[in-house]
Order: sequence, then structure tokens, then C-alpha cells
Amino acid sequence: MQAGLYALLFFVACGQAVAHQQKIAITTVLFNPRTENIEIMHRFNLHDAEHAVKALFKKTADILDDKETQTQFARYVANRFVLFNAQNDSLPLNLVGFEVEGKHFWVYQETAQPPALQGLQIRHDALRDLWPEQVNTINVEGNGDLKTLTFTDSVELLEVHF
Amino acid sequence: MSKRMPKLVWLMPVLSIMSATPAFADGAIKQTKGDFEDKFRQLEEVLPTPNVYRNAAGEPGHQYWQQQVDYDIDVTLDEEKRRIDASEEIVYHNNAPDTLKYLWIQLDQNKFRDDSMSALTTTFGGIGNRGPATSAASGSSPAKLSMGAIRRQQFVDDNELGYQIKKVTDGRGKPLHYVIVGTLMRVDLAEPLKPGKKTELNIDFGYNIVEEDAVSARSGYEHFPDDEREGGNDIFLLAQWFPRLAAYTDYEAWTNKEFIGRGEFTLEFGDYEVSMTVPADHIVSSTGVLQNPRDVLTSEQRDRLEEAEDADRPVFIVTPEEALENEKEGTSDTKTWHFKADNVRDFAWASSRKFMWDAKGVKQGGPQKHVMAMSFWPKEGGDLWKKYSTESIVHTLEVYNRFTFNYPYPTAQSVNGPVGGMEYPMITFNGPRTELQDDGSRTYSLAEKRFLIGVVIHEVGHTYFPMIVNSDERQWTWMDEGLNSFLDGVAGREWDPDIPWGVEPRDVTGYMKSQTQVPIMTQSDSVLRLGPNAYTKPAVALNILRETILGRELFDFAFKEYAQRWMFKRPTPSDFFRTMEEASGVDLDWFWRGWFYTTDHVDISLDKVYKLRLDTEDPDIDYARERQFEKDKPMSLTVERNQEEGRKLWVERFPDITDFYDENDQFTVTNKERNKYQSWLKKLEPWERKAFERAIEEDKNYYVMEFSNVGGLVMPIILEMTFADGSKEMLRIPAEIWRRTPKAVSKLVVTDKDKELVSVTVDPRWETADVDVENNHYPRQIIPSRIEAYKSSSTKTGARRDIMQDIKTELKTDDEDEDGEKKEGDDN
Repeated sequence: MQAGLYALLFFVACGQAVAHQQKIAITTVLFNPRTENIEIMHRFNLHDAEHAVKALFKKTADILDDKETQTQFARYVANRFVLFNAQNDSLPLNLVGFEVEGKHFWVYQETAQPPALQGLQIRHDALRDLWPEQVNTINVEGNGDLKTLTFTDSVELLEVHF
Repeated sequence: MSKRMPKLVWLMPVLSIMSATPAFADGAIKQTKGDFEDKFRQLEEVLPTPNVYRNAAGEPGHQYWQQQVDYDIDVTLDEEKRRIDASEEIVYHNNAPDTLKYLWIQLDQNKFRDDSMSALTTTFGGIGNRGPATSAASGSSPAKLSMGAIRRQQFVDDNELGYQIKKVTDGRGKPLHYVIVGTLMRVDLAEPLKPGKKTELNIDFGYNIVEEDAVSARSGYEHFPDDEREGGNDIFLLAQWFPRLAAYTDYEAWTNKEFIGRGEFTLEFGDYEVSMTVPADHIVSSTGVLQNPRDVLTSEQRDRLEEAEDADRPVFIVTPEEALENEKEGTSDTKTWHFKADNVRDFAWASSRKFMWDAKGVKQGGPQKHVMAMSFWPKEGGDLWKKYSTESIVHTLEVYNRFTFNYPYPTAQSVNGPVGGMEYPMITFNGPRTELQDDGSRTYSLAEKRFLIGVVIHEVGHTYFPMIVNSDERQWTWMDEGLNSFLDGVAGREWDPDIPWGVEPRDVTGYMKSQTQVPIMTQSDSVLRLGPNAYTKPAVALNILRETILGRELFDFAFKEYAQRWMFKRPTPSDFFRTMEEASGVDLDWFWRGWFYTTDHVDISLDKVYKLRLDTEDPDIDYARERQFEKDKPMSLTVERNQEEGRKLWVERFPDITDFYDENDQFTVTNKERNKYQSWLKKLEPWERKAFERAIEEDKNYYVMEFSNVGGLVMPIILEMTFADGSKEMLRIPAEIWRRTPKAVSKLVVTDKDKELVSVTVDPRWETADVDVENNHYPRQIIPSRIEAYKSSSTKTGARRDIMQDIKTELKTDDEDEDGEKKEGDDN
């Protein structure tokens, strides 16, 4: 087995008796019949994002108040989320925007639904390159029954069929 | 589900296998015909049979018992070696009706040994381990080993971890036979211990303290290499540090399940005397009350402590300046701090020369009328700790006391160290800190402030659950984390409701509809996603129980009853379920079944609404109505087009040929119908006639609403009805409407004549965790997705975010909450 090293970051691993830095994100991949787009809505816990931007960008990065940091984080997420069609082509995703709502930070992406999509392969590495214990859950909705994909441990690419 | 196959994981086949297996088996009683599922089936065979130890009301039974274990420990901290060595005297009181031939003792430090079950079963890139993660090779990408994992590995290689048990004897010093089994040790008693008797046990032990940042534990040391003192300084957090008796219970006997890392602790209450010998310049924070302040504190510090007892704001016992001076150099002298704690289920402490220390007395009702709230932190905690730590403790006591019982211990402490958040009796470890800026100042973000207040509330809240209401954490994480997350949300909202604390039902919908949900009633080490499973979902369930199903009066009474019944005792889930039901007087078996024993989610759909009108039976009225009804139907296309073509009708061409039926249609009323109506009226009983006449006079609207339960979880149907006159009315239908037809129900709603219904919304306040709000409206409404909503609000208000940003920039404060802009729509 080939062993590569990565993540040259020492992050203080916190105890987990409290739900603070949860290192979990949940994403909805929605086939929206009205817009005929595939809409991608990533929900991060603000406190995870708060620590992430300090580790990723600079110590003074502020996800709550600084629009530049917010944009930077949204781009970071967008760069680590990929949809592939059955031919292994990645679908072009447009970064729609981002917002803070309550204790969550949202990042929005979308793409026009390619015709007759048989299935999707999804890659969701956001924060998983920073903290290996990050778990990203995806609910794929609006195309048959809801399907859940969980990016945890060593999982890098998951697939759904329609 | 294996995810370490060197190829893509194909999800669908795996899922279909999973869904073919029932989530839990109900045992002997089965519905074997048809597809009826009794969602309201009483939990009879699911809950354990009530007995003399735990009765059917969910109370401790008339022969309830629990063991008592008292400890007297002398421990020495070797700062250089980062090691403790100790000797403990244990007095074990056997209050059980059973004779014990051996005792099981927890050796939690053995979890860190490289041959522990925890270490050996940590999969490469595996699930559920608490430490630094790794990831296996997948597809074309190579395996990855994080630097954190390497650091852990090196630390484990370089340090001998786990307990060294040097001596185990009885009270007279006679060696006892013992066997170490992973994180447990069986000590065979010289004589069987009869009911009502006690025995003494002495254990000498030591271990090398783990570096918390390297191995991710719930305690350990943290090194500060940049401090002025040569070689730097450490903060030591000591927890799970002494061999502790495993609990012996009426429901599981010895709770000797291996400590793998996730499922926390199950412990006995007892009295503690602990003496810690530490470097003389250290400050010690500990469970219990300091017994020898004259030996370890200066007279000035003792005066300050006295002043703090009834101060309005926290008083420094060790000031920031003193702490900063203290951490500049060390000493080879030692001091011994002596603490005493009564009726606690565990004992933890912290020691460092870096600590500053503040305190503030809290007065409350008895029996413990005065509590010292205290905080200990290094310079890295800074102003954040100075302002908010001790005050957060005080706030926690105020709120939790109201919901449970008066805090029964003399101290409540918050200590900053390497642990993000962890709880022990009277002492909690909390992680948030300030950031050192280039100009030497220390600042903190709004998120860090919320984190500090939130984590202190949460961890101090754990003093109530499970430190006093002593639930079994190894089996049921939700019993302390779920209840405590519910209450910390209540306390947070009473601190500042503008800060997004706590859990709203909408927060958990993404988890509840996902296919990775497991029942809340799952043993801790087996739960797939612990956060949403053991914290968020049960907290949301309790919130719904309080605000939606029982109401505050019934809920608060029952919840308090549970807390008081089980204060200093050991409840199980059935005791909670039974007490909440018994004290509120409301059957909640369906709620426990749905929320705690299944993976159903809430999704109630309003499929159809139609209107009925009462016939008057009076032919002169009803026939005319029917004629009108016929007329109101759209004209036949054929007839209309014939007209357009100018086609002449036969009846128009030959008007001379007519008869009776050209004058009278099928709705013409004759005396035959009138006579029939009169004789029908005469046959009515007087009460029937009265009711009928009144109904005719009132001429109300009769609406039938059809609902389907898409998610499977039965819940109350909450309706907001909007009428033509613009008025609105709420109707709350109890969940029991689903009892005979759990998949679909219809409901008749009668309104006054002038209240004509125009639309209906199910769960308009989003209080039930309904995962799909689109089917909650009749007529259907287009609910924009988050992206649609985001786009439309962006275009409507132009540079919305820039304006907010500008406003904030001018304010130059981090006390502002980033709120507003709440989106309708998908509630993930």
C-alpha cells in the first residue's frame, strides 16, 4: 500500500463531551424541477468554519464578519466538491453564494441538470483535508427516493444511481 | 458497511440489504396479517418488567439499593516525568441483596495501551475512534496518514501508557489475587462480601500522563513551550486517574463493559478524601472543598476567597499579574493540597503554575445554601475567561436549579486546559481561548465567546446529568447528553436569545431524513453519528415534548419529578419514560417508540381539502340548489361549437311542438316531494328535529381534510386555517388521530357560515421537525429552495450583504449577532 502524507497541521483535537466543534457538515443535492438545476446547499456549523478559516487562511480570518473570509471559504468548499456523470466528466458547478444563518454557514452551488443522468459520482473533501475526522453527509433529493451518502474515514468518492 | 474496498463503494445494493432487516424486533407479538402497524402499541414488552428496585411509575422501588464506595487517596504529581503515583484506600459498601466474591475495577488509563481493545480495533481510516484520524487507500488515491496520527503513534511508542498496578491488598495489607482484563480488573476477595457488609481494599498505582493534544483523551497534560520559564510550563488535567469501582447494579449486575472510548462512565457514589502533592508554585482546582487553605494559600489569597463569598462580581484569588509572574520560574519544593468531597460519583482535578483564579459566591435555597463558582485559566484564556467563565457557571445554576433541584455541592468550577469540554463532579474542563495577535494583544471572536459561554453551561449542566442524576453513560449517551443539551438550550436562550443556542426542531431534519440515522436507543459505541443521534435528536424531542405535546406546565412538572426522584440515584431509560408519562398523565408510549426506538422521521402531507354542504331535505331549497349546481358546470364544448357554427336546433326550428317538459326541468318540485319532506320531518324525534333545524339555520361549512404520513413518525397535526375574511385560526389535533390508520387520516372541520376556508398550512411554526414543508400547504405553494430564496432576496435588496457589512464595520464590535435574513424554504 502506498502511503502519502498530508495535512501538515496540528489541530487541537477537542474532547467530544460537548457539541461545539462537531466537524460535521450536511449537504443537500436537490434536483429542482422548477429551475431544472441541480442545486447544492452545503450547511457547515459556524464554529467548525470559524476554526477552519483560521487554520486554512490566516489567524485573523473571521467567518462571521469578514466578507473576504466568507468568499474565500465558499471558494474553498466549491473547489472540494465535485459531481461526475456516468462518463466520469465533472459537471460545471456555479458558485451561487453563501450566507450566515443562525449557527450555520451555508454555501450554495448549482448546475443545469444534464439530460438523462443515470447516476452521479460525488466527491466532497471540504474540511476533510483539514481534519481527517470531518464527516460530510449528503442527502440526494428530488430524483426518486432520497439517498444518503456519508463521507467519512477514507471514503473519497461515492455514487448514486437513479 | 465496509468502505475500505479498493474500489468505488456502490451504495444502493448495500442499502437495500439494510432496509430488508427490521430496525428492531418487537419480540413475541406480531401483526401477521395485513399491513397495519400499531404505532401506539404500549411499550409493555419493550420496557423491562417493573420490580421492587424500579417500579412501574418510573420511581426507585421500595427496595431500591445502590452500592457506596469511599476513597482515600494520596497522590504525587511528578511534573518533570509527567507522571502520577498514588495509593488509594477503598471502602466498598455492599448494599446489594447479593453476595459478592469479587469486585470489578475500572482501569480507564489502559485504554491508551497499544494492546488495548480500543487500539486494536481502531480501523485504519476507521469509524468512531476519538483520536487523530487516518484514511485508507481508495480508488486511485494513496492511503493517507495524518500528522496527528503519526504524532499519536510516536507518543504511544515513546511513553509507556496505562496503569502500573503495584499492589492490591485487603484492609490488613494481605495481597489479593487480581486479573486485569483490558480496561478492567477483577479483584478476588479473600472472603465473599455479604449483603450489608463492607470491605477494604488498598491499591498502589501510577501511570504516565498522556499528552492530550497527541492522543485526544478526556484529560492529560498540555505543554506551553513558549513560556518564559526554561523548558516551558504545563497544565495538568487529571481525570479517570485512579482505579475506580465499576458499578454493580440491579439491572445489569457488574457494568463491566470494556472502555473503548466513546461510551463514557458508569460509577458509584461515595465520599472522597484526596491529598495531592504538587510543585509548591502550582494552583490546584479539584472536585470537593479545600481542607487546608492555610498550608497552600497565602493569607492574602484566603482573604480574597472570603471576600468572594458574597461579592457581586467575581473576585480574583490569583490575579493575572500574579499568575504571569508565577509562570516565569519553577520550584523544586512541593505542597500538599487536601480536598474532601461527599456523595460524588467521581473525582477530578487540575494543577498548574499558569492558573489565574477567580471566584464568586452564589446564594440559593437549601440544603446547600452557598456555592462557590470558580474559574481557573492561563493567560491564554485572557479576558474571555475573566468576563464570562464564572458568570456562566452562576447562570447555569440559576436555570438548572429551576428545572431540577438546588445544586447540592459547595463548589462549581470551570478550568481551561487542552480538553474542549468535559465534565466531572464540581469541576469542568473547557477549551475556548483568546488568540495572540502580532501586537501582543489577545482577542477573541464572537464565535469563541459563544463557544465559551455555551461550553461552560453545557459542562456545568452535566453536574446535574449525569453527575447527580447518575445515568449509565456507557450504555445510553443520550440520557445525559440529550437531557443536558435540551437544558443548555433553555439556559442559553435565557442568556441572550439573539445568539443561536440550543436546538430547533428544524436543525435535525437533515439527519432524521438521512439513511444513516440509527435509533436513539443504541449503545453508545455502536452509534454511527453520535452528535445528531445522542445530543441533537433527543434534545429536539424533549423540546417538542415541552413546547408542542405536553405544554410547559405538564412537561416542567414531570421533568422536575424525574430529576428529583433520581437525584443521587441511578435511572435507566425506562425510568425516564415512565416518570414523564406517569407525572404528566399523558400516554407517551407512541412518542418514545417513534422518536427513541425507530428511525422514522416526521413528514405529514396535507393532500386534499374538500367542502361538504348539508342538504336541507326541503325540496324547494335542495332542488333549486341542484339546478344551480348543474348550471354552474361549464358548457359542453360540442354545444358551444354548434352555437358558434350557427347550427339551428330542432326545438328552435319547430317551436309549435312543445309539451310539459319544455316548461319544467328535472329539478321541478311537485307536491309529491313536498309531502314526502313533511312526512320525513314528522318522523324525526324531537331532538333530531331540533338539531336538524339548527344545523339548517346555521348553515355551517363542512371541510374534509385528507392527510398522509409520509415520514412514518406519528405526530400531532397542527393546522393554521386562513379564511376568506383574512382571519386565521389554529387547530391542534393530537397524534392519536393516527392510531388506527397510521398512514393516512381524514378530518372533518366545521366552520361558521362566514368563515370560508381559503388555505390550510400544516405546522406553520416548524415545531414538529417536519422534513418537507412543501406538502404542508393546501392549496400547494411553491416553496423556493434555499438557493432560489437566496437568489431572490439578493436581487430584491441589491447589495444586501454589503450593507450589513458596512453597518458592522462602523460599529466595530463583536457583540453584534449576524442575524436577520432568515430564509423560508428548505430547512436543512
